[in-house]
Amino acid sequence: MTEANVSVARSETGAAPDDWQPHIVALVCNWCSYAGADMAGTTRIEYPANVRMLRFPCTGRMSPLMILRAFEQGADGVLVSGCHPGDCHYVQGNLVARRRFTIFRSLMDFVGIDLRRLHFAWVSAAEGHKWAKVVSQVTAAVREAGPLPSFARPETWDGVDLPEVSGSGPEELDAAQMEAIQANLRKAASEVLSAGRVGVVIGYGAGSLADQTTPVFVSETADCEKLVWGEGCRNNLSTYVFSALEQHERVAVVAKTCDLGAIAGLVREGQLGRDQIVVIGVQCSGLRDGSELATKCLACTGDPHPVCDLVVTADGVQESCQDPSEAALDTPDARDEQIAHLESLPHDERWKYWQRQFARCLRCYACRAACPLCYCSSCIAEKHRPQWVPTSIDSPGNSTWNIIRALHLAGRCSGCDECARVCPADIRLDLINRKLALEVERQYGRVGLDPDERSALVDFRMEDSEEFIL
Amino acid sequence: MDASWKLTEAQLREWLQGLLEKYDVVAPAEEDGVVLFSRITSEDEAIVEPSGKTRWSPKEFLFPRTEALYHYTFGSGKVQLEDPSLPERPQVLFGVRSCDASGLVRLDEIFLSGTTDRLYAARRENTTVVTTACAAADPECFCTAVGGSPVGEEGSDVQLVPLVEGWLLRVLTDTGRDLVGEAKGDWSAATAKDVKRLPALEKKVSKEIERSPVNKEWSKVLEEGFEHGVWNRLSHQCLGCSICAYVCPSCSCFDMNHNGNAWSGAQNRSWDACTFPLFTLHASGHNPRTTGHERYRQRVLHKFAFRGDEDEPFRCVGCGRCVALCPAGLDIVNTVAAAVDAIREEGADAAR
Repeated sequence: MTEANVSVARSETGAAPDDWQPHIVALVCNWCSYAGADMAGTTRIEYPANVRMLRFPCTGRMSPLMILRAFEQGADGVLVSGCHPGDCHYVQGNLVARRRFTIFRSLMDFVGIDLRRLHFAWVSAAEGHKWAKVVSQVTAAVREAGPLPSFARPETWDGVDLPEVSGSGPEELDAAQMEAIQANLRKAASEVLSAGRVGVVIGYGAGSLADQTTPVFVSETADCEKLVWGEGCRNNLSTYVFSALEQHERVAVVAKTCDLGAIAGLVREGQLGRDQIVVIGVQCSGLRDGSELATKCLACTGDPHPVCDLVVTADGVQESCQDPSEAALDTPDARDEQIAHLESLPHDERWKYWQRQFARCLRCYACRAACPLCYCSSCIAEKHRPQWVPTSIDSPGNSTWNIIRALHLAGRCSGCDECARVCPADIRLDLINRKLALEVERQYGRVGLDPDERSALVDFRMEDSEEFIL
Repeated sequence: MDASWKLTEAQLREWLQGLLEKYDVVAPAEEDGVVLFSRITSEDEAIVEPSGKTRWSPKEFLFPRTEALYHYTFGSGKVQLEDPSLPERPQVLFGVRSCDASGLVRLDEIFLSGTTDRLYAARRENTTVVTTACAAADPECFCTAVGGSPVGEEGSDVQLVPLVEGWLLRVLTDTGRDLVGEAKGDWSAATAKDVKRLPALEKKVSKEIERSPVNKEWSKVLEEGFEHGVWNRLSHQCLGCSICAYVCPSCSCFDMNHNGNAWSGAQNRSWDACTFPLFTLHASGHNPRTTGHERYRQRVLHKFAFRGDEDEPFRCVGCGRCVALCPAGLDIVNTVAAAVDAIREEGADAAR
């Protein structure tokens, strides 16, 4: 694909020019689909010449970033093709890829990519005819979808009015109860410190603005007075566990109900030993940013969860030792209506909705920094040989970053909403995360708080659904 | 030079609409619930209020988040380079707060002194700044603590001062006079009482800002305590994002990056921040600032220390955005005060 071709397709915002030809990038596995395409060639089967092939060892090696890269570079459609399930030369590469692409596809649909542009197929080395058929089918579909829409910020566009979210939130607590919780929290912190159970307690301290708190690291019992509890305790403190563990063998972390999923995730993914942390769950009456109850709180009970080691309520401090495998976080969400509304819109409206949001992205990476589960020591956004995510703070790199960030958390995100809270541009990352969580749950079931479960996207079943695969 | 008029809201709006004919007008406008500076096409998009700030500063209209330094194309065995096009229409930044206007002057000091930055200079040359004095302080504001004022004139060509009803318009520079131009036809001249509104507002708003001033002598103390252990303690919470730098009116750091394919592309410069480890990573693999506390210290010191002489202003203009938006609730003024206290108390060499 040359730049000239790309600009022809892009110069038209409305109908495609008469001589427009779709550009389709095909990512194929070396063992089956590449050989299948070769077979189509040697048997002289004719098929449209719109497809440019890139050969990979396995569909398991294909990162969704490669698909995003193709779109960035102006491809109108992408086809991914590999061995049939059971035929993978690396045993399970295509099975893991199948889950990954199922979820990626639903995300692309959600951000407004017309699914006629994105196809997946199983083509074996013997299926030259199938390859030709798939390419014809894909080319026709992409031709129907037309040129790829522009990544640029939509200039004259009225926007989408999302339905208001509503919910009652956790039980309201009066000042005396909040005071009691704070006193009990300090008592609990002081006890774990003086008993030598932990070296440090990570909690909330008073911030410099009225409704703000800042994380504090308390290692002396006398300093437990610095711990506060209130509606401004927004951070998910499990983000700080790693830096605290550099200096202490065991740390205690103060957690709200919404923070627990991240702690379970860190244990599940082997980043944290369950015996390295003492979780102090505290009864929460919901968080406020200004006067509004945070969206994530609307459907939350605020009860400290039994997976905590210590449970702090207005009544006192209790040890808790319930089996985490029995505990499942019930997470109804007030935002599901907003997601349904977005999904009811045509693709191009959704595309504009997200492109305008992504256009505001400053690439400050606060979403990544605040996320407890974004723990990679070196992020894909920082890999520059090759440069996977363009570092220019504009389109289409902004889209790529926001999409791949969400995808890397699919099946892992615990819904603590930290990324959306910290985003200075108010990008609705929470909607994307929630959409992915719903999709993962629909396809592969819910992952709860049990550290022994596996995250959905590193797992597979032979019988996983694949109705979209050609 | 100092000419003043009194305008009704309607007259102000009419003037703003008139400016759109000749100028690209950049003013606070709402998008998806966020108020940001953006190019407006009609006066009713602009949010010109007696108080309140945009989410981030208007610096991106002089120093864009990403801009091409040159474009290239490969074709018929040749490489062709092309300069980026420079702005043709003059630009007005409308409704800029005093702190943000000071921020633009801090950027000028970086981009226009020594070797002039061609692209920045062209945009700056083309830009007129209309500031709006503040009638109230936001909770995070602290301009008075760093030598600024809620009604400050620095960097301003025309100043709008909110009166109880309507606006006082003050022309402060020749550029500002050109901007007002013929529009002043039916405006009434400001009375002495209107002009008195300025010191009154300054007094009122300064009182709302309950911050003790940052002492200029502290710069030296901070520099002397460069290796002090306090930096480690104070930066524990820092998550290492770059919200503070990107919303800052005076942060000016950038990185070069290459965006393109085998046929065409551009060499870009994009905002970058000292809070990122990659910012200082050398090609050799060496990184002079490997830890979070070294990077946080760099940002604090670049705002409050490393000044040439005593008269030089701080590079922090006190808008307070970094305080309000920090995911970890870090407060740069408290950090400076705590660092100075610790360095003075424990000695500059403590806990090296």
